[in-house]
Amino acid sequence: MESSSDLMIGMESRLVLMCIDAATQSRDTVEKWRRQRRTIERMPSQLAEALLRRLLRRRLLYPSLLEVFKRSVEEIDLRGENHVDAEWLAYLGAFRYLRSLNVADCHRINNSALWALTGMTNLKEVDLSRCSKVTDAGIRHLLSIPSLEKLCISQTGVTGDGVTLLASLTNLSVLDLGGLHITDQALSSLQVLTQLQYLDLWGSEISNTGAALLKMFPKLSFLNLAWTKVTNLPNLSSLACLNMSNCTIHSLLEGVGNKAPLTKLILSGATFFDVSEALLYVQTSFLSFLDLSNSSLMRFFFLPYMSALNYLDLSGTPMGDDGVEQIACVGANLRYLNLNKTRVSSAGVRILAGHVPNLETISLSQTATDDLAISYISMMPALKVIKLGSMCIKGFINQVGAEPVPSLTALKNLQFLEKLDLDETQIRDAALCPLSTFRGLSHLSVKSASLTDMSLYHLSSIQKLINLSIHDAVLTKTGLDSFTPPATLRVLDMRGCWLLTKDVLLEFCKRYSNIELRHELVHILPSETDGFPSTSRVSSKTLKSKQKLGKQAILSSNSLKDMFIDQRLKYSREELLALQFSSMSLAPSDGRGYLMPE
Amino acid sequence: MKKEDTVKLISAEGFEFVIDKKAAMVSQTIRNMLTSPGSFAETEHGEVTFPEISTVILEKICQYFYWSLQYASGKETEFHIEPELTLELMMAANYLHT
Repeated sequence: MESSSDLMIGMESRLVLMCIDAATQSRDTVEKWRRQRRTIERMPSQLAEALLRRLLRRRLLYPSLLEVFKRSVEEIDLRGENHVDAEWLAYLGAFRYLRSLNVADCHRINNSALWALTGMTNLKEVDLSRCSKVTDAGIRHLLSIPSLEKLCISQTGVTGDGVTLLASLTNLSVLDLGGLHITDQALSSLQVLTQLQYLDLWGSEISNTGAALLKMFPKLSFLNLAWTKVTNLPNLSSLACLNMSNCTIHSLLEGVGNKAPLTKLILSGATFFDVSEALLYVQTSFLSFLDLSNSSLMRFFFLPYMSALNYLDLSGTPMGDDGVEQIACVGANLRYLNLNKTRVSSAGVRILAGHVPNLETISLSQTATDDLAISYISMMPALKVIKLGSMCIKGFINQVGAEPVPSLTALKNLQFLEKLDLDETQIRDAALCPLSTFRGLSHLSVKSASLTDMSLYHLSSIQKLINLSIHDAVLTKTGLDSFTPPATLRVLDMRGCWLLTKDVLLEFCKRYSNIELRHELVHILPSETDGFPSTSRVSSKTLKSKQKLGKQAILSSNSLKDMFIDQRLKYSREELLALQFSSMSLAPSDGRGYLMPE
Repeated sequence: MKKEDTVKLISAEGFEFVIDKKAAMVSQTIRNMLTSPGSFAETEHGEVTFPEISTVILEKICQYFYWSLQYASGKETEFHIEPELTLELMMAANYLHT
């Protein structure tokens, strides 16, 4: 959203936003002000940056236009802009006060493009992540910028030799070398970088020899060694965040000196040589984030010592009901708990129920939990997000000698509940009936082949529903025609509802043009999106009521009637297929049709 | 109109705009000047000088104040901004917190 990014920099002024909007209507409007150089030079950097961002988003920014901003902009983020090339950087090289440059994923950036950055002595942050054409020669251009504090060159073409050169950038505190083939030898040449606080070495050739050298960075607080051959990590006295996913671990942080004050530990997919050894030296009292998903752990005896935990991911581990007691011991601070694909059953959820007063998210997909688990979940008062995806869930609890009770009714007690995910269940229409009275529910996802049009009827009365997914249901034309979506609904995802035809879906979109519709046959975006310039002068965020929003949506969809959002829409399927082989640059869509309501 | 209910806004070139106090209060900056405790010259005389804001822009700003009041009361009209004025107006709006 445009508004959110502008609000982030604290621009609450409505007139400023209206001015930015008016200044970026079209190429013509830009021409009207671009000669006002003195004004742009005087502009506070946060205003100039907001204007520049909007120009970029509206596709109105081109290299020579950058020139007018050369004295006013301190930060520029061109992430993922495919057309950014050497010409852009040539203009950016003249940005006297530029402090931060982000060209991550700009595939046209190569070594010669980086030449333009030489001598930019105010530059502190450069992000070249995934610019695969950048190699060691490009690094040489950066060496003339001794002020650099943050450099990201993950997944570029830089080799160990290029990394060795970085040793002269002694102010570096953040260095992302992920996905590069760096050896222990290259790492050892970086020992002079004593200011390093953040070091990312995932997927490198670093071994235990290299890991032993990490002690040379006294300030190191973030370290990523995922997918490396490191098995023994020595004690690092200031380490707060460690990622050793997919490593084989013998020992962690063993050694003398102050214990690492770890707060975040990610060991997803790790293989443990011996569990009791592996975590023996880890100081657990500050640990708040622990990800052990898909690791080889069999026992969880260490959990009761981790009383500060608020994020715990044990998905894909053999955690069973007996282990849940250990989670319950540290449940007081837990906010996020992921038990997907574990052996936990409803009995385990029952153990947890009274011990997690602050839990906001619980995930139990692909477990053996049944409808009883739902009643235990309803005893976790702070829950906002519930993910339940189990073939054992039917939506009813059978009682001896009485009518079956809809199990979802119990969740009504949860006053903070916002998201409910019931994928891959055996739920039927009647089971969804209690949901219609849920006051705060904004996201709902259900997937069951037993659902019919009745479900749509039940769900239409959820007051605050924003995002609704009904997958694989037997929805028909009649059902969709009589469906009155809640006024708040923005996304309706009906993939896998195989009875619906394209005509029915288009008809629905015509009626509710502000809802984004997803289905295999069509993907219809709401009329009012960021994708193309808004035609009205006052941007949507200044309009308050829904009514006004709706009005504007209709306006812009009318005025866009004759315009193609996507060039592909001009062609029929046959023509597209013919084009596919005529030119690479006109490669057709990925099979999903992007259509506008007519 | 009583004098207490109006304020005088003076542009860089010395042009004076007399507008409703209520309208001027749309600007957080002017509101602070007029209501802050202690006897600022602005508070006493109901006059604010903007040596950085040109007459054209200050006029537009005053129009915006009135438009904003109308908009808040539910009258939806469009506030047109000439592209030539956008940059200067943006800076003035930023300064005035409006």
